[in-house]
Amino acid sequence: MEKHTTKAYDVVVVGAGNGGLTAAIRVLQGGYSCLVLEKHNLPGGFATSFKRGRFEFEASLHELNDFGSPEEPGDIRTLFRSLGVEDKIDWVRIPEAYHLITTDKQYDCEMPFGVEAFIDRMEEYVPGSRRSMTDFFALCNEVRDAQTYSNSVNGNTDSAYMKANFPNFIKAGSYSVNQVLEALKMPPRARDILNAYWCYLGVDCDRMSFLHYGSMVIRYITRDAWMPKMRSHEISLAMEERIRELGGDIWYNSPVTAIHAEGPGAITGVELADGTVIPTRHVIANCAPHLVFGKLLDEKAVTEQMVRATNARTFAGRGYTLFLGLNKSAEELGIKSHNYFIYDTADTARQYDLMRKVDTNHVQATVCLNNAWPGCSPEGTCMMYFTTMFMSDDWGSVEDTDYFKAKDRVADDMIRVFERETGCRIRDAIEEISVASPTTYARYCGHPQGVIYGYETAEWDSLMPRMMMMKEDAQLFPNLRFAGGWAMRSSGYSSAYVSGDLSGRQTVGDLKREVR
Amino acid sequence: MNFKKQIFGFMDMLRFKKLVPNRRAALAAGSAEPLPRDYRVNRQARRLHPGMMEVELTAVRPLCPGMTELTFKRVDADAFPFFRAGQYVALQSKVGESLVSRPYSIVSSPRQALENVLVLGVADAGFFSGWLNREAKPGDRFRMTEPSGEFHYETLRDKKQIICVAGGAGITPFLSMAKSMLEGDEDYEMVLFYGARDEAHLAYKAELDAMAQQGLRVVYVLSDEEKPGFEHGFVTAQLMEQYADPRQATFFLCGPKAMYDFVGSQLAPYGLPLKAVRRDATCCGDLALDAPRSFKLTVHIRDRVYTMDAAEHETLLTAMERAGVPAPNKCRAGGCGYCHSKLLSGEFRVAEGRDGRREADRKFGYVHPCVTYPLSDMAIEVPAEE
Repeated sequence: MEKHTTKAYDVVVVGAGNGGLTAAIRVLQGGYSCLVLEKHNLPGGFATSFKRGRFEFEASLHELNDFGSPEEPGDIRTLFRSLGVEDKIDWVRIPEAYHLITTDKQYDCEMPFGVEAFIDRMEEYVPGSRRSMTDFFALCNEVRDAQTYSNSVNGNTDSAYMKANFPNFIKAGSYSVNQVLEALKMPPRARDILNAYWCYLGVDCDRMSFLHYGSMVIRYITRDAWMPKMRSHEISLAMEERIRELGGDIWYNSPVTAIHAEGPGAITGVELADGTVIPTRHVIANCAPHLVFGKLLDEKAVTEQMVRATNARTFAGRGYTLFLGLNKSAEELGIKSHNYFIYDTADTARQYDLMRKVDTNHVQATVCLNNAWPGCSPEGTCMMYFTTMFMSDDWGSVEDTDYFKAKDRVADDMIRVFERETGCRIRDAIEEISVASPTTYARYCGHPQGVIYGYETAEWDSLMPRMMMMKEDAQLFPNLRFAGGWAMRSSGYSSAYVSGDLSGRQTVGDLKREVR
Repeated sequence: MNFKKQIFGFMDMLRFKKLVPNRRAALAAGSAEPLPRDYRVNRQARRLHPGMMEVELTAVRPLCPGMTELTFKRVDADAFPFFRAGQYVALQSKVGESLVSRPYSIVSSPRQALENVLVLGVADAGFFSGWLNREAKPGDRFRMTEPSGEFHYETLRDKKQIICVAGGAGITPFLSMAKSMLEGDEDYEMVLFYGARDEAHLAYKAELDAMAQQGLRVVYVLSDEEKPGFEHGFVTAQLMEQYADPRQATFFLCGPKAMYDFVGSQLAPYGLPLKAVRRDATCCGDLALDAPRSFKLTVHIRDRVYTMDAAEHETLLTAMERAGVPAPNKCRAGGCGYCHSKLLSGEFRVAEGRDGRREADRKFGYVHPCVTYPLSDMAIEVPAEE
């Protein structure tokens, strides 16, 4: 195709991941024109599926939290409802919270959804934990309410109101998960079991903010988790259809090579690889600030402040997932849970260190989807996926000629660990196998180093100060907002949808102010 | 409850107040060094998955009647990507007004790819393949997709012993698989049954005989010729049992459908699990219709619209290629999903047994044009080519 300039759009969304799709719907609902540009030939980013033989694998979603039932919707179901996509998707409820196994202390704990059930089960495993667990959930409730308030005022919180209504939130707000659990005098074994979700946020509990963890746990436990029946691809196509219904455009195989700007805040358009230019003044980037400020934006528009603020941040985990299609049912194989967390050690900080190197990492968050949705694969079969992360760029040292073997070595180890820890023999039942390495994530989504979790939400860059600085961060480059795992709310499906919702609505606000 | 970490609650409050100033200071204290333009893992992703490649034909050699060997080098980079022996590439060009594209199994090994050599063995079958056999000459430029496909050994799934059965031009992926084994990149033990009409139709016999000296086991099976040193007839279970135990092996089959059916019937009595027999995909052809109707196909690519005729017995992809409209495609068998396109309107049918769409694709109206035939006027939205 020869080079040409297209019609102008009010907003161009760079990347059709969870955040980008949500943002686009918000922009269109606000009455503005919107074009979504996606480098791959499918929408969704990580939210997709792929077929091997008679299996259609879920690419990444383990469970969608804060979803709730139709009658008692959580924040994400409410968001989907307001986006107009809830009814386009067939949902199934995840049966239990998690099944924790650790090699060092031999934990083997199956935790249910529901606060009371969760506390009761913990009391069975750790007698004497009830009081601290009850306090934990009370504190989490306050955290959730405070965050709901903070979101409702777009981060511009009134400190007197906060102090009066959410004093415990503020007092616990600067501490790590472990510091708070210690202050609650939670027995060490209960802390170990409660901390199981940490890998979903990718920061150990010595460095992860309690507010971040507490708000996630309470959302899982009180509002349980759900999945679409047709893998996350169903969500992505539902959102895509919604964008079309609202008059938006979405172009695939269309990687953005440049965002043109006269200076900070003065975007003029975006450019594609073939030289096509799309005029626009507003961009929502569903990709890494490292890419936007380091590569896409015209150099004259990038200030030292942007460079420093971007360099200051730390890449979170690089992803690795093994997918197995098995020619026996979950029942035949003895796989009882939907969702396993298997760790070398219950000490999250030590575990994080072990995850820096490919060879010393044996962590897996493993899903057997059939235990939530039996119809996900043919009768007499089941489907599993095993996810881990590397907390450094160790994977980058793999030579091309060793690439396929390196993928197999990690996969082999995951199967070995799963069999050893659960007693389920799965190896001989492998009918289809596929592996996504950091290289795969870099290939499909373009994320630097194959990072799947955006920037680490640890210490100074934890969730709370990010939320409180939402407005300030956006002033770095007006008319450019971020959505998805690299944005303020960090990674994970629910967070990406929320960040897309925020950035989409805020961009509508920017456009309205522009008119005024 | 009343949470307290330090003796005095106000000290906890004070810490909270510092969250924002701390973060502000940390962001300002970041390095002023230019941000990286590229990353190691992303460079590797581009080496292993370059997408579309520009290639030049460097050598043409007749292999046997009706089959030609084509050797390529990349002109947009110094080497082809390392790949998995057994995979294919799609070769693309323009012949007359038509865009053409066909998948071919790679004959050369992954190690050779790193020396910027990639070899295809092309049987004189269809329109483009015929053109390649008769017209292509060194110096010609083509586009080529990166190596793709799941027809390759999987160490954690397959048995150590593999039994490969080739029919005619189906020998090509096994050349690569045999070389890759001998080069130490694959862990299997390979027995190859190579069926052809007669000795003259055996491509690569000299190369296979040479590899047989190094550890490959090859059995030539001629259907129309009886000759010492060659088996006569077809690749039967009885014949295979002389070389390996079918119950303790994984099968790789590449050849015409008739061969798949025959080998399948030979293996039926063993009751092997599905996973034990892998078949290479074959291109989706035309439908045999007496009086195919002609429809109008409207194709949207980004902000452009094309209209063209589409015959009832030809795939939507073929219609687009005839009209010279660039549409992404790779496997032409319904499976790779590379041509994934949005259905805007119209009725269609999918080639039998080739519906490789995801569940949600069917629900939300997506098609794979490489295996989809029109049943009315249609409109589709196709992703731009790379």
